[in-house]
Amino acid sequence: MPLPEFSRSDALTMGVELELQLVNLSDFDLAPASPDMLDLLARAPFPGAVTPEITESMIEINSSIHTGHGPLVEELQLIRDTLLKAGDRLNVGVCGGGTHPFQQWTERRIYEKPRFREVSALYGYLAKQFTVFGQHVHIGCGSGDNALYLLHALNRYIPHFIALSASSPFLQGSDTQFHSSRLNSVFAFPLSGRAPFLLRWEDFERDYFKRMEDTGIVRSMKDFYWDLRPKPEYGTIELRVCDTPLTVEHAAALAAYLQALCSYLLEGNEAPPREDDYLVYNYNRFQACRFGLEGNIVLPQEHRPVVLRDDILATLARIAPHAEKLGSGAALAHLGQITKAVGDAEQLRIVHEHEGSVEAMVNLALGKFRGEV
Amino acid sequence: MSELLSLTHALAWPLALTLAWMAGELLYRWANVPRIAIYGLCGFVFGNLSSGYLPPAQADNFMMLANLGFGLMLFELGYRINLRWLRTNPWLLVTSLLEAGLTWAAVYFVSRTCGIGALPASLLAALAMASSPAGLLRIVNEQGGGGQVTERAMHLTALNCVLAVFVFNVTVGFGVFQTSGDVVHASWTGLVVLAASSGLGAALGYLLPLWQRIAGHARSNSTLTFAVFVFLLVAITHVLKLSPVLAALTFGLVARHRRVTLSPAQRNFGALGDLLTVLLFFFVATTIAWQPTAEGLMLGLLLLLVRALVKVAVCTATARVSGISARKGALTGVAIMPLTVFAIILIEQTRRSGVDLFDTLTPLAPLAAMAMILEVLAPILTQIALTGARESGFAKNKTVEKKEDQDAAA
Repeated sequence: MPLPEFSRSDALTMGVELELQLVNLSDFDLAPASPDMLDLLARAPFPGAVTPEITESMIEINSSIHTGHGPLVEELQLIRDTLLKAGDRLNVGVCGGGTHPFQQWTERRIYEKPRFREVSALYGYLAKQFTVFGQHVHIGCGSGDNALYLLHALNRYIPHFIALSASSPFLQGSDTQFHSSRLNSVFAFPLSGRAPFLLRWEDFERDYFKRMEDTGIVRSMKDFYWDLRPKPEYGTIELRVCDTPLTVEHAAALAAYLQALCSYLLEGNEAPPREDDYLVYNYNRFQACRFGLEGNIVLPQEHRPVVLRDDILATLARIAPHAEKLGSGAALAHLGQITKAVGDAEQLRIVHEHEGSVEAMVNLALGKFRGEV
Repeated sequence: MSELLSLTHALAWPLALTLAWMAGELLYRWANVPRIAIYGLCGFVFGNLSSGYLPPAQADNFMMLANLGFGLMLFELGYRINLRWLRTNPWLLVTSLLEAGLTWAAVYFVSRTCGIGALPASLLAALAMASSPAGLLRIVNEQGGGGQVTERAMHLTALNCVLAVFVFNVTVGFGVFQTSGDVVHASWTGLVVLAASSGLGAALGYLLPLWQRIAGHARSNSTLTFAVFVFLLVAITHVLKLSPVLAALTFGLVARHRRVTLSPAQRNFGALGDLLTVLLFFFVATTIAWQPTAEGLMLGLLLLLVRALVKVAVCTATARVSGISARKGALTGVAIMPLTVFAIILIEQTRRSGVDLFDTLTPLAPLAAMAMILEVLAPILTQIALTGARESGFAKNKTVEKKEDQDAAA
């Protein structure tokens, strides 16, 4: 199937996808509840969209396309409330967090859908281990060339989004010592990581996608699990490195941050991206996953080390005028507070330390998603 | 010769148990028949062939072990119940009250119509209200069940067990008062047993987290801790002639609602739970005698049908309004068919507490027939319900994935 033409979408529009955990409220373990949830949700109109994910313990929600932060938050809150109401009728809790702290991947069930069955048949146990929960943010681009420019210019900021959203410190019942262990699960897939360094859409289509398609390995962009990937049918780039945060407000703030950052980059405020930027990419990515806001990254063009927390605060200040123009000053203020205080991963660890149980972590995630904590 | 005979006597039970377990494994693998159905069938055959082989003292030990196994399952069931769900979805409570209440009324009415006296009819009806947590939980765990049918079946079972124990004990108390005129004995048999048993369970549910904190067990697997405490609780209720059913269920419920300090228990309590399960289902079936089973067969079948119709009809009727499809509602009704272990343990426990109503109530023969039929049939029905609702994770995925792996490889 050839790559679809890059759709024209309004630049800097944004949309959010959140993969959410479905938790059994009796024992706090993941529940194979998505068929029942989708069945119940289908009875009434849903604000936004809701779709199944690869295993039955996951569900994905999509917002509409937005230009401003305020309406995005409102829509995500409405979606959240609708989900919670349905979950309460079924004894199913809904929450964020990049991983469930103690679920066992062997107990997961693949959702009955041809694509998921295909993925499961190809990837074996990796499919069930992919019961991890991420936030995807789409940013509208005026053209394919703009999309590729942004895709590569953003490489330096990928650790920001990893650290700010990190909420997966535990896996299979144990502390991984990572702030985001979810991304390690994504890295196991052969077509994960970074996109090839091509800056013109025509080159990407002809010199990369077409050749990959000829090998028989890929059929569509869906087969790539890149951290950032173009989505030609939507006319967007899609950021995929974020763990699903514990609150929808935080998720909306991250989207607004990416939007403001893209606005800043499109104005040409920074030196154009180079292939050599990727020399430090995997190292920086690891630092953000492992140490969160305390990670030490190396700036790709200056080869200068910097603490992520400081770099984020400096970036927030730098792009503030763009955020003001886009009406997302509140979102950046929210992220500024988080950067100075305690992120989701740390909060989960603290509650584990205090209560001594992994269920307490799920309890916290459920309460935060409800807006009760 | 006499030595050989006594050796055969001594080894008959362990050998029969081993054979039952082996038969369970083979038929589960070959024909996907639930293991507990086979244990029950073997127990029934062995019990009737070897009638009188088990001396009373050993029978008491076996009953104690069976109670321990049942206690572990009740604890696990209680631990998997979320009482808040009844508040967020009151239709679940309505379903439970209707299915248990109407089952009582229907079984009582049919029994009376068929000439059974008021007291035995009430006892039969009270027992028919319940579903056996042991049968349900074993199948759920064996099948890796999860979903609305599974969840609702577990919640309805916990609720109808409590309702059945309550109605049963009140009926027994009433019966004791009728036959002896002793008000104190009657009320002890009835309400005090209920209060004391659930009080004990609740107390342990509060004490356990304290122990966990002191001993620092909260971070590790707490299966052993739970098992030891359940054993203690069952032993106490056994000695004090209280209700281990209610005590273990309350223990699990209270422990669950204070769960933020507890770690997950291993499903089935691991190999220990598996071992006690073989013993529980085998032993319980050995107590069902062939003669009353045959005598009460027709009425037993009729009552089973009535019980099944009421439970399935109520669960179907309230399904949609409570958030699931009518089909899943009907399957929930089918999933809660197990009865045997609960009924027999409850009767034995009442007998131990000095109430001999059952020895004088021959019209309870239909109960033997119901118990025997359900011992084999109910696990199969529960398994069918879970599979029909696509909630039987392991069995389904195993075959589908194997085929897909082959397709992918090809």
